[in-house]
Amino acid sequence: MPDKEDKQMSEKHDHGEHKAAPMVEEVSDFEILEMAVRELAIEKGLFSAEDHRRWTEYVHSLGPLPAARLVAKAWLDPEYKKLAVADGVKASLAVGVDWIKSPPTGFGTPSDYCNLRVLEDTPKLKHVVVCTLCSCYPRPILGQSPEWYRTPNYRRRLVRWPRQVLAEFGLQLSPDIEIRVADSNQKTRYMVLPVRPAGTEGWSEDKLAEIVTRDCLIGVAVPKPGVTSNAKRPIHPAVHPVHHHH
Amino acid sequence: MSSKNSRPELMRHFDLVGQLQPAYHRAEHAPYPDTIDHAQYRALLRSAHDVGGEPDVPITWEEKEEEVWELNTFATCECLAWRGVWCAEERRRRHNVDFGQTQYLALPYYGRWLLGAARILVDKQYVTLTELINKIDEVKKRHDNKASSR
Amino acid sequence: MTTKPHHDRTHHAKKATGIGDPQCFKGEAGPAKFKIGDAVRIKNLPDIFYTRCQTYTRGARGVVVAVVYESPAAEDEAWDNTDKSEWFYSVKFPQKELWPDYPDAYPNDTVETEFSERWLEKA
Repeated sequence: MPDKEDKQMSEKHDHGEHKAAPMVEEVSDFEILEMAVRELAIEKGLFSAEDHRRWTEYVHSLGPLPAARLVAKAWLDPEYKKLAVADGVKASLAVGVDWIKSPPTGFGTPSDYCNLRVLEDTPKLKHVVVCTLCSCYPRPILGQSPEWYRTPNYRRRLVRWPRQVLAEFGLQLSPDIEIRVADSNQKTRYMVLPVRPAGTEGWSEDKLAEIVTRDCLIGVAVPKPGVTSNAKRPIHPAVHPVHHHH
Repeated sequence: MSSKNSRPELMRHFDLVGQLQPAYHRAEHAPYPDTIDHAQYRALLRSAHDVGGEPDVPITWEEKEEEVWELNTFATCECLAWRGVWCAEERRRRHNVDFGQTQYLALPYYGRWLLGAARILVDKQYVTLTELINKIDEVKKRHDNKASSR
Repeated sequence: MTTKPHHDRTHHAKKATGIGDPQCFKGEAGPAKFKIGDAVRIKNLPDIFYTRCQTYTRGARGVVVAVVYESPAAEDEAWDNTDKSEWFYSVKFPQKELWPDYPDAYPNDTVETEFSERWLEKA
Protein backbone atom coordinates (compact mmCIF):
# COMPACT_ATOMS: atom_id res chain seq x y z
CA MET A 1 0.00 0.00 0.00
CA PRO A 2 1.70 3.26 -1.09
CA ASP A 3 2.20 5.75 1.69
CA LYS A 4 0.58 9.19 1.71
CA GLU A 5 3.75 11.00 0.59
CA ASP A 6 4.21 8.79 -2.46
CA LYS A 7 0.61 9.36 -3.45
CA GLN A 8 0.97 13.12 -3.11
CA MET A 9 4.15 13.02 -5.17
CA SER A 10 2.45 11.12 -7.95
CA GLU A 11 -0.50 13.53 -7.88
CA LYS A 12 1.92 16.48 -8.31
CA HIS A 13 3.57 14.77 -11.27
CA ASP A 14 0.22 13.90 -12.81
CA HIS A 15 -0.49 17.57 -13.41
CA GLY A 16 2.80 18.27 -15.14
CA GLU A 17 3.46 15.11 -17.15
CA HIS A 18 0.45 13.44 -18.60
CA LYS A 19 2.04 10.01 -18.71
CA ALA A 20 2.08 9.24 -14.99
CA ALA A 21 -0.54 6.93 -13.51
CA PRO A 22 -1.45 7.14 -9.83
CA MET A 23 0.26 4.48 -7.78
CA VAL A 24 -2.93 2.98 -6.40
CA GLU A 25 -4.53 -0.41 -6.75
CA GLU A 26 -7.91 0.32 -8.34
CA VAL A 27 -8.68 2.84 -11.02
CA SER A 28 -12.29 3.80 -11.71
CA ASP A 29 -13.94 4.32 -15.09
CA PHE A 30 -14.02 8.04 -14.32
CA GLU A 31 -10.29 8.11 -13.60
CA ILE A 32 -9.56 6.25 -16.83
CA LEU A 33 -11.69 8.62 -18.87
CA GLU A 34 -10.25 11.68 -17.11
CA MET A 35 -6.73 10.67 -18.10
CA ALA A 36 -7.82 9.84 -21.63
CA VAL A 37 -9.52 13.22 -22.13
CA ARG A 38 -6.67 15.23 -20.65
CA GLU A 39 -4.03 13.34 -22.64
CA LEU A 40 -5.94 13.74 -25.90
CA ALA A 41 -6.57 17.43 -25.32
CA ILE A 42 -2.88 17.98 -24.67
CA GLU A 43 -1.80 15.80 -27.62
CA LYS A 44 -4.08 17.76 -29.93
CA GLY A 45 -2.71 21.06 -28.65
CA LEU A 46 -6.04 22.24 -27.21
CA PHE A 47 -4.32 23.21 -23.98
CA SER A 48 -0.91 22.44 -22.53
CA ALA A 49 0.05 20.36 -19.54
CA GLU A 50 1.38 23.61 -18.10
CA ASP A 51 -2.05 25.26 -18.55
CA HIS A 52 -3.65 22.41 -16.64
CA ARG A 53 -1.10 22.56 -13.85
CA ARG A 54 -1.53 26.34 -13.57
CA TRP A 55 -5.29 26.01 -13.34
CA THR A 56 -5.04 23.35 -10.64
CA GLU A 57 -2.68 25.61 -8.69
CA TYR A 58 -5.07 28.53 -9.12
CA VAL A 59 -7.94 26.42 -7.72
CA HIS A 60 -5.73 25.41 -4.77
CA SER A 61 -5.20 29.12 -4.05
CA LEU A 62 -8.92 29.80 -3.67
CA GLY A 63 -10.92 29.74 -0.46
CA PRO A 64 -13.42 31.75 1.61
CA LEU A 65 -10.92 33.96 3.45
CA PRO A 66 -11.00 36.91 1.02
CA ALA A 67 -14.80 37.04 1.19
CA ALA A 68 -14.67 36.89 5.00
CA ARG A 69 -12.26 39.81 5.01
CA LEU A 70 -14.48 41.77 2.66
CA VAL A 71 -17.30 41.39 5.19
CA ALA A 72 -15.06 42.34 8.13
CA LYS A 73 -13.82 45.43 6.28
CA ALA A 74 -17.39 46.39 5.43
CA TRP A 75 -18.41 46.07 9.07
CA LEU A 76 -15.59 48.40 10.11
CA ASP A 77 -15.85 50.96 7.29
CA PRO A 78 -19.28 52.27 6.16
CA GLU A 79 -17.80 53.78 2.98
CA TYR A 80 -16.26 50.43 2.00
CA LYS A 81 -19.58 48.76 2.72
CA LYS A 82 -21.28 51.15 0.28
CA LEU A 83 -18.66 50.30 -2.35
CA ALA A 84 -19.07 46.57 -1.73
CA VAL A 85 -22.82 46.79 -2.31
CA ALA A 86 -22.52 49.09 -5.33
CA ASP A 87 -19.56 47.38 -7.04
CA GLY A 88 -18.52 43.96 -5.76
CA VAL A 89 -15.79 43.56 -8.37
CA LYS A 90 -14.10 46.82 -7.37
CA ALA A 91 -14.48 46.04 -3.65
CA SER A 92 -12.87 42.61 -4.20
CA LEU A 93 -9.60 44.30 -5.15
CA ALA A 94 -9.17 45.47 -1.56
CA VAL A 95 -9.05 41.81 -0.42
CA GLY A 96 -6.64 40.74 -3.12
CA VAL A 97 -9.13 39.36 -5.62
CA ASP A 98 -9.04 40.72 -9.14
CA TRP A 99 -11.96 38.99 -10.83
CA ILE A 100 -10.56 39.86 -14.28
CA LYS A 101 -6.79 39.54 -13.90
CA SER A 102 -6.14 37.11 -11.03
CA PRO A 103 -7.16 33.98 -12.99
CA PRO A 104 -4.62 32.64 -15.53
CA THR A 105 -6.85 33.71 -18.44
CA GLY A 106 -6.53 37.44 -17.82
CA PHE A 107 -10.26 37.70 -18.60
CA GLY A 108 -11.76 36.11 -15.50
CA THR A 109 -12.51 32.46 -14.92
CA PRO A 110 -14.68 31.02 -17.66
CA SER A 111 -17.28 29.66 -15.23
CA ASP A 112 -17.47 32.46 -12.67
CA TYR A 113 -17.42 35.60 -14.87
CA CYS A 114 -16.69 39.04 -13.42
CA ASN A 115 -19.89 40.30 -11.84
CA LEU A 116 -19.84 39.79 -8.10
CA ARG A 117 -22.79 41.26 -6.23
CA VAL A 118 -22.52 41.59 -2.49
CA LEU A 119 -25.93 41.16 -0.85
CA GLU A 120 -26.28 43.24 2.30
CA ASP A 121 -28.36 41.75 5.09
CA THR A 122 -30.17 44.04 7.51
CA PRO A 123 -32.10 43.25 10.69
CA LYS A 124 -35.19 42.97 8.47
CA LEU A 125 -33.62 41.26 5.41
CA LYS A 126 -31.76 37.95 5.19
CA HIS A 127 -30.25 36.76 1.93
CA VAL A 128 -29.46 33.18 1.01
CA VAL A 129 -27.91 32.05 -2.27
CA VAL A 130 -28.62 29.15 -4.62
CA CYS A 131 -28.15 28.36 -8.29
CA THR A 132 -31.26 26.35 -9.13
CA LEU A 133 -30.04 25.56 -12.64
CA CYS A 134 -26.57 24.21 -11.89
CA SER A 135 -24.35 25.32 -9.00
CA CYS A 136 -22.90 28.70 -9.98
CA TYR A 137 -20.73 29.98 -7.16
CA PRO A 138 -18.32 32.93 -6.65
CA ARG A 139 -15.19 30.75 -6.69
CA PRO A 140 -12.58 33.52 -7.07
CA ILE A 141 -13.55 34.97 -3.69
CA LEU A 142 -15.11 31.98 -1.95
CA GLY A 143 -13.33 28.86 -3.27
CA GLN A 144 -15.05 25.70 -4.43
CA SER A 145 -18.71 25.14 -3.64
CA PRO A 146 -19.72 22.63 -0.99
CA GLU A 147 -21.27 19.34 -2.07
CA TRP A 148 -24.69 20.09 -0.58
CA TYR A 149 -24.93 23.32 -2.58
CA ARG A 150 -24.64 21.32 -5.81
CA THR A 151 -27.36 18.80 -5.00
CA PRO A 152 -30.63 18.79 -6.95
CA ASN A 153 -32.27 18.69 -3.53
CA TYR A 154 -30.91 22.07 -2.37
CA ARG A 155 -31.57 23.55 -5.80
CA ARG A 156 -35.17 22.28 -5.83
CA ARG A 157 -36.14 23.26 -2.33
CA LEU A 158 -34.38 26.45 -1.25
CA VAL A 159 -36.19 28.68 -3.70
CA ARG A 160 -39.64 27.44 -2.66
CA TRP A 161 -39.25 26.31 0.97
CA PRO A 162 -36.39 28.52 2.22
CA ARG A 163 -37.51 28.54 5.86
CA GLN A 164 -37.65 24.76 6.02
CA VAL A 165 -34.24 24.38 4.39
CA LEU A 166 -32.67 27.06 6.59
CA ALA A 167 -34.15 25.38 9.66
CA GLU A 168 -32.35 22.19 8.59
CA PHE A 169 -29.16 24.24 8.58
CA GLY A 170 -29.97 25.45 12.07
CA LEU A 171 -31.23 28.90 11.12
CA GLN A 172 -34.70 30.03 12.14
CA LEU A 173 -35.73 33.60 11.59
CA SER A 174 -38.60 35.73 12.76
CA PRO A 175 -41.64 35.50 10.40
CA ASP A 176 -41.67 39.23 9.65
CA ILE A 177 -38.09 39.20 8.33
CA GLU A 178 -37.81 39.15 4.54
CA ILE A 179 -35.89 36.07 3.50
CA ARG A 180 -34.67 36.81 0.00
CA VAL A 181 -33.44 33.85 -2.02
CA ALA A 182 -30.95 35.00 -4.65
CA ASP A 183 -30.96 32.52 -7.54
CA SER A 184 -27.75 33.07 -9.51
CA ASN A 185 -29.04 31.89 -12.87
CA GLN A 186 -26.97 34.08 -15.21
CA LYS A 187 -23.58 35.81 -15.02
CA THR A 188 -23.87 37.44 -11.60
CA ARG A 189 -22.28 35.63 -8.66
CA TYR A 190 -23.46 36.41 -5.13
CA MET A 191 -22.00 36.49 -1.65
CA VAL A 192 -23.86 37.52 1.48
CA LEU A 193 -22.76 40.39 3.74
CA PRO A 194 -24.36 39.31 7.02
CA VAL A 195 -25.38 41.63 9.86
CA ARG A 196 -22.53 42.19 12.31
CA PRO A 197 -23.50 40.34 15.49
CA ALA A 198 -23.58 41.81 18.98
CA GLY A 199 -20.64 40.96 21.22
CA THR A 200 -18.02 41.98 18.62
CA GLU A 201 -17.51 45.57 19.72
CA GLY A 202 -13.91 46.72 19.40
CA TRP A 203 -12.84 43.64 17.43
CA SER A 204 -10.05 43.84 14.85
CA GLU A 205 -10.62 43.05 11.18
CA ASP A 206 -8.86 39.68 11.63
CA LYS A 207 -11.00 38.69 14.59
CA LEU A 208 -14.18 39.69 12.78
CA ALA A 209 -13.19 37.79 9.63
CA GLU A 210 -12.73 34.63 11.72
CA ILE A 211 -16.43 34.37 12.52
CA VAL A 212 -17.54 34.90 8.91
CA THR A 213 -17.60 31.30 7.76
CA ARG A 214 -18.29 29.98 4.26
CA ASP A 215 -21.78 29.00 5.40
CA CYS A 216 -22.40 32.62 6.48
CA LEU A 217 -21.25 33.85 3.07
CA ILE A 218 -23.73 31.57 1.30
CA GLY A 219 -26.41 32.63 3.76
CA VAL A 220 -27.29 29.36 5.50
CA ALA A 221 -25.68 30.52 8.76
CA VAL A 222 -25.18 33.82 10.60
CA PRO A 223 -21.92 34.90 12.24
CA LYS A 224 -21.64 34.30 15.98
CA PRO A 225 -18.84 35.28 18.36
CA GLY A 226 -16.87 32.15 19.16
CA VAL A 227 -18.01 30.22 16.08
CA THR A 228 -15.14 30.13 13.57
CA SER A 229 -16.01 27.09 11.46
CA ASN A 230 -18.95 25.74 9.48
CA ALA A 231 -21.41 23.50 11.31
CA LYS A 232 -20.26 19.90 11.52
CA ARG A 233 -21.69 17.69 8.83
CA PRO A 234 -20.95 14.18 7.57
CA ILE A 235 -18.11 14.20 5.06
CA HIS A 236 -18.37 11.68 2.24
CA PRO A 237 -14.78 10.48 1.82
CA ALA A 238 -13.03 10.38 -1.54
CA VAL A 239 -11.37 7.19 -2.75
CA HIS A 240 -8.34 9.21 -3.94
CA PRO A 241 -8.76 12.56 -2.23
CA VAL A 242 -7.25 15.90 -3.14
CA HIS A 243 -5.59 17.53 -0.18
CA HIS A 244 -7.32 20.91 0.05
CA HIS A 245 -7.33 22.67 3.38
CA HIS A 246 -10.53 24.71 3.48
CA MET B 1 -51.13 30.78 -24.14
CA SER B 2 -50.73 34.18 -22.47
CA SER B 3 -48.10 34.57 -19.82
CA LYS B 4 -50.72 35.58 -17.23
CA ASN B 5 -52.77 32.38 -17.50
CA SER B 6 -49.85 29.96 -17.40
CA ARG B 7 -49.36 29.72 -13.60
CA PRO B 8 -51.85 26.86 -12.94
CA GLU B 9 -50.38 25.01 -15.92
CA LEU B 10 -46.94 25.46 -14.40
CA MET B 11 -48.13 23.91 -11.17
CA ARG B 12 -49.40 20.88 -13.11
CA HIS B 13 -46.07 20.85 -14.97
CA PHE B 14 -44.22 20.49 -11.69
CA ASP B 15 -46.36 17.50 -10.71
CA LEU B 16 -45.64 15.90 -14.05
CA VAL B 17 -41.87 16.41 -14.14
CA GLY B 18 -41.71 14.98 -10.63
CA GLN B 19 -42.77 11.72 -12.25
CA LEU B 20 -39.80 11.78 -14.63
CA GLN B 21 -37.21 9.73 -12.75
CA PRO B 22 -34.46 7.30 -13.71
CA ALA B 23 -36.13 3.90 -13.59
CA TYR B 24 -36.08 0.43 -14.97
CA HIS B 25 -39.57 -0.34 -16.18
CA ARG B 26 -41.50 -1.81 -19.08
CA ALA B 27 -43.35 1.05 -20.65
CA GLU B 28 -44.41 1.73 -24.18
CA HIS B 29 -41.41 3.18 -25.98
CA ALA B 30 -41.62 5.52 -28.98
CA PRO B 31 -45.34 6.24 -28.42
CA TYR B 32 -47.64 7.38 -31.18
CA PRO B 33 -47.52 11.20 -31.43
CA ASP B 34 -51.28 11.60 -31.11
CA THR B 35 -51.00 10.16 -27.60
CA ILE B 36 -48.80 13.06 -26.39
CA ASP B 37 -50.71 16.07 -25.09
CA HIS B 38 -49.37 19.63 -24.51
CA ALA B 39 -48.48 18.98 -20.88
CA GLN B 40 -46.54 15.83 -21.71
CA TYR B 41 -44.81 17.53 -24.64
CA ARG B 42 -43.72 20.33 -22.36
CA ALA B 43 -42.51 17.85 -19.75
CA LEU B 44 -40.52 15.90 -22.32
CA LEU B 45 -38.87 19.02 -23.77
CA ARG B 46 -38.09 20.67 -20.48
CA SER B 47 -34.51 21.64 -19.69
CA ALA B 48 -33.50 19.01 -17.16
CA HIS B 49 -31.53 21.45 -15.01
CA ASP B 50 -34.60 23.60 -14.35
CA VAL B 51 -35.44 22.05 -10.99
CA GLY B 52 -36.28 25.09 -8.83
CA GLY B 53 -39.56 24.50 -7.01
CA GLU B 54 -39.83 20.77 -7.59
CA PRO B 55 -40.80 18.87 -4.46
CA ASP B 56 -38.09 16.97 -2.66
CA VAL B 57 -37.54 15.56 0.79
CA PRO B 58 -35.34 16.69 3.65
CA ILE B 59 -31.93 15.03 3.50
CA THR B 60 -28.79 15.14 5.58
CA TRP B 61 -26.66 17.94 4.17
CA GLU B 62 -23.19 16.55 3.55
CA GLU B 63 -19.75 17.74 2.57
CA LYS B 64 -17.61 15.64 0.22
CA GLU B 65 -13.90 15.18 -0.15
CA GLU B 66 -12.84 16.01 -3.69
CA GLU B 67 -11.34 13.23 -5.81
CA VAL B 68 -8.12 13.92 -7.70
CA TRP B 69 -9.92 13.06 -10.93
CA GLU B 70 -12.66 15.58 -10.09
CA LEU B 71 -10.20 18.43 -9.62
CA ASN B 72 -8.42 17.35 -12.80
CA THR B 73 -11.75 17.34 -14.62
CA PHE B 74 -12.60 20.80 -13.36
CA ALA B 75 -9.21 22.11 -14.51
CA THR B 76 -9.63 20.39 -17.89
CA CYS B 77 -13.03 21.98 -18.43
CA GLU B 78 -11.79 25.45 -17.48
CA CYS B 79 -8.66 25.04 -19.65
CA LEU B 80 -10.85 24.04 -22.58
CA ALA B 81 -12.77 27.29 -22.13
CA TRP B 82 -9.60 29.31 -21.47
CA ARG B 83 -8.18 28.12 -24.79
CA GLY B 84 -11.44 28.67 -26.65
CA VAL B 85 -12.64 25.13 -27.32
CA TRP B 86 -15.97 26.12 -25.73
CA CYS B 87 -17.35 29.01 -23.76
CA ALA B 88 -18.76 28.49 -20.26
CA GLU B 89 -22.35 28.72 -21.43
CA GLU B 90 -21.83 26.03 -24.08
CA ARG B 91 -20.29 23.93 -21.34
CA ARG B 92 -23.31 24.42 -19.08
CA ARG B 93 -25.72 23.57 -21.84
CA ARG B 94 -23.87 20.35 -22.56
CA HIS B 95 -23.37 19.41 -18.91
CA ASN B 96 -26.77 20.33 -17.55
CA VAL B 97 -29.32 19.86 -20.31
CA ASP B 98 -27.95 17.92 -23.30
CA PHE B 99 -27.59 14.74 -21.26
CA GLY B 100 -31.33 14.41 -21.03
CA GLN B 101 -33.43 13.72 -17.98
CA THR B 102 -32.20 10.26 -17.01
CA GLN B 103 -28.45 10.75 -17.32
CA TYR B 104 -28.74 14.21 -15.81
CA LEU B 105 -30.03 12.82 -12.52
CA ALA B 106 -28.31 9.43 -12.60
CA LEU B 107 -24.73 10.54 -13.28
CA PRO B 108 -22.42 11.96 -10.62
CA TYR B 109 -21.97 15.74 -10.72
CA TYR B 110 -18.42 15.60 -12.06
CA GLY B 111 -19.27 12.58 -14.17
CA ARG B 112 -21.25 14.97 -16.33
CA TRP B 113 -18.37 17.45 -16.45
CA LEU B 114 -16.02 14.68 -17.57
CA LEU B 115 -18.31 13.15 -20.19
CA GLY B 116 -19.09 16.63 -21.48
CA ALA B 117 -15.39 17.35 -21.93
CA ALA B 118 -14.94 14.07 -23.82
CA ARG B 119 -17.96 14.90 -25.96
CA ILE B 120 -16.87 18.41 -26.96
CA LEU B 121 -13.58 17.04 -28.31
CA VAL B 122 -15.50 14.69 -30.59
CA ASP B 123 -18.32 17.10 -31.49
CA LYS B 124 -15.92 19.79 -32.67
CA GLN B 125 -13.84 17.20 -34.51
CA TYR B 126 -10.67 17.76 -32.52
CA VAL B 127 -10.57 14.00 -32.08
CA THR B 128 -12.48 11.25 -33.81
CA LEU B 129 -14.54 8.91 -31.69
CA THR B 130 -12.14 6.20 -32.84
CA GLU B 131 -9.25 8.12 -31.32
CA LEU B 132 -11.17 8.54 -28.06
CA ILE B 133 -12.06 4.85 -27.91
CA ASN B 134 -8.48 3.85 -28.59
CA LYS B 135 -7.12 6.26 -26.00
CA ILE B 136 -9.51 4.96 -23.33
CA ASP B 137 -8.45 1.43 -24.23
CA GLU B 138 -4.78 2.39 -24.04
CA VAL B 139 -5.21 4.02 -20.63
CA LYS B 140 -7.16 1.03 -19.37
CA LYS B 141 -4.48 -1.39 -20.51
CA ARG B 142 -1.81 0.74 -18.87
CA HIS B 143 -3.57 0.24 -15.56
CA ASP B 144 -4.37 -3.41 -16.09
CA ASN B 145 -0.66 -3.96 -16.75
CA LYS B 146 0.28 -2.12 -13.56
CA ALA B 147 -2.20 -4.13 -11.51
CA SER B 148 -1.14 -7.48 -12.93
CA SER B 149 2.59 -6.73 -12.55
CA ARG B 150 2.25 -6.43 -8.74
CA MET C 1 -7.70 15.17 -47.19
CA THR C 2 -10.92 16.06 -45.41
CA THR C 3 -12.08 19.59 -44.71
CA LYS C 4 -12.81 20.13 -41.04
CA PRO C 5 -14.67 23.18 -39.77
CA HIS C 6 -12.35 25.86 -38.46
CA HIS C 7 -13.26 27.09 -35.01
CA ASP C 8 -11.77 30.41 -34.01
CA ARG C 9 -10.54 29.60 -30.54
CA THR C 10 -9.14 33.07 -29.99
CA HIS C 11 -12.25 35.23 -30.31
CA HIS C 12 -13.25 35.42 -26.67
CA ALA C 13 -9.70 35.99 -25.43
CA LYS C 14 -9.30 38.78 -28.00
CA LYS C 15 -12.51 40.43 -26.86
CA ALA C 16 -12.25 40.00 -23.11
CA THR C 17 -8.57 39.92 -22.05
CA GLY C 18 -7.95 42.65 -19.50
CA ILE C 19 -11.63 43.60 -19.70
CA GLY C 20 -13.65 40.72 -18.27
CA ASP C 21 -16.97 39.08 -19.09
CA PRO C 22 -19.72 40.48 -19.15
CA GLN C 23 -17.78 43.78 -19.25
CA CYS C 24 -16.60 42.99 -22.79
CA PHE C 25 -20.19 43.30 -24.09
CA LYS C 26 -20.70 46.81 -22.75
CA GLY C 27 -22.41 49.12 -25.21
CA GLU C 28 -23.64 46.36 -27.50
CA ALA C 29 -27.24 46.09 -26.34
CA GLY C 30 -28.52 49.57 -27.10
CA PRO C 31 -30.93 51.33 -24.75
CA ALA C 32 -32.38 49.38 -21.86
CA LYS C 33 -36.14 48.84 -22.16
CA PHE C 34 -36.73 48.65 -18.40
CA LYS C 35 -35.50 50.51 -15.36
CA ILE C 36 -35.34 50.00 -11.61
CA GLY C 37 -38.83 49.99 -10.12
CA ASP C 38 -40.61 48.77 -13.25
CA ALA C 39 -43.22 46.08 -12.75
CA VAL C 40 -42.57 43.25 -15.18
CA ARG C 41 -44.08 39.90 -16.04
CA ILE C 42 -42.02 36.93 -17.21
CA LYS C 43 -42.91 35.74 -20.68
CA ASN C 44 -43.63 32.09 -21.30
CA LEU C 45 -41.61 31.71 -24.49
CA PRO C 46 -41.37 28.20 -25.99
CA ASP C 47 -39.07 25.97 -24.03
CA ILE C 48 -36.93 23.97 -26.43
CA PHE C 49 -33.39 22.59 -26.08
CA TYR C 50 -32.10 25.15 -23.58
CA THR C 51 -33.16 27.97 -21.35
CA ARG C 52 -31.94 29.78 -18.27
CA CYS C 53 -35.33 31.34 -17.61
CA GLN C 54 -36.62 29.16 -14.84
CA THR C 55 -40.03 27.55 -15.26
CA TYR C 56 -40.99 28.69 -11.76
CA THR C 57 -40.84 32.33 -12.89
CA ARG C 58 -42.95 32.03 -16.03
CA GLY C 59 -46.01 34.27 -15.97
CA ALA C 60 -45.06 35.71 -12.58
CA ARG C 61 -45.06 39.42 -11.84
CA GLY C 62 -42.04 41.05 -10.22
CA VAL C 63 -40.18 44.34 -9.86
CA VAL C 64 -36.88 45.30 -11.47
CA VAL C 65 -34.41 45.93 -8.65
CA ALA C 66 -31.23 46.31 -10.71
CA VAL C 67 -30.14 46.79 -14.31
CA VAL C 68 -27.07 44.62 -14.18
CA TYR C 69 -25.11 44.22 -17.44
CA GLU C 70 -25.22 43.61 -21.17
CA SER C 71 -24.50 40.18 -22.56
CA PRO C 72 -25.66 37.73 -25.21
CA ALA C 73 -28.69 35.86 -23.93
CA ALA C 74 -27.78 32.49 -22.44
CA GLU C 75 -29.97 30.73 -25.02
CA ASP C 76 -27.68 32.12 -27.75
CA GLU C 77 -24.39 32.04 -25.88
CA ALA C 78 -24.98 28.33 -25.27
CA TRP C 79 -24.19 27.85 -28.97
CA ASP C 80 -21.49 30.52 -28.93
CA ASN C 81 -23.73 32.93 -30.87
CA THR C 82 -22.47 36.16 -29.36
CA ASP C 83 -23.27 38.70 -32.08
CA LYS C 84 -26.31 40.13 -30.29
CA SER C 85 -26.39 41.34 -26.69
CA GLU C 86 -29.33 42.19 -24.42
CA TRP C 87 -29.67 44.07 -21.17
CA PHE C 88 -29.97 41.84 -18.12
CA TYR C 89 -32.18 42.72 -15.17
CA SER C 90 -32.43 41.51 -11.60
CA VAL C 91 -36.09 41.03 -10.74
CA LYS C 92 -37.60 40.45 -7.31
CA PHE C 93 -40.79 38.45 -6.74
CA PRO C 94 -42.89 38.03 -3.62
CA GLN C 95 -42.90 34.32 -2.74
CA LYS C 96 -46.70 34.36 -2.71
CA GLU C 97 -46.62 35.36 -6.40
CA LEU C 98 -44.55 32.29 -7.28
CA TRP C 99 -46.16 29.66 -5.06
CA PRO C 100 -49.87 29.79 -4.24
CA ASP C 101 -49.26 27.61 -1.19
CA TYR C 102 -46.48 29.77 0.30
CA PRO C 103 -47.41 30.22 3.98
CA ASP C 104 -49.16 33.48 4.86
CA ALA C 105 -47.13 33.37 8.07
CA TYR C 106 -44.12 34.67 6.06
CA PRO C 107 -45.59 37.58 4.11
CA ASN C 108 -42.35 39.37 3.26
CA ASP C 109 -40.27 36.57 1.74
CA THR C 110 -38.98 37.06 -1.81
CA VAL C 111 -36.90 35.57 -4.60
CA GLU C 112 -34.48 37.62 -6.72
CA THR C 113 -33.10 36.34 -10.01
CA GLU C 114 -31.89 37.63 -13.38
CA PHE C 115 -33.46 37.78 -16.83
CA SER C 116 -32.27 38.90 -20.23
CA GLU C 117 -34.58 41.50 -21.72
CA ARG C 118 -36.42 39.14 -24.08
CA TRP C 119 -38.05 37.42 -21.11
CA LEU C 120 -39.69 40.56 -19.72
CA GLU C 121 -42.86 42.42 -20.61
CA LYS C 122 -44.45 45.37 -18.87
CA ALA C 123 -46.87 44.23 -16.15
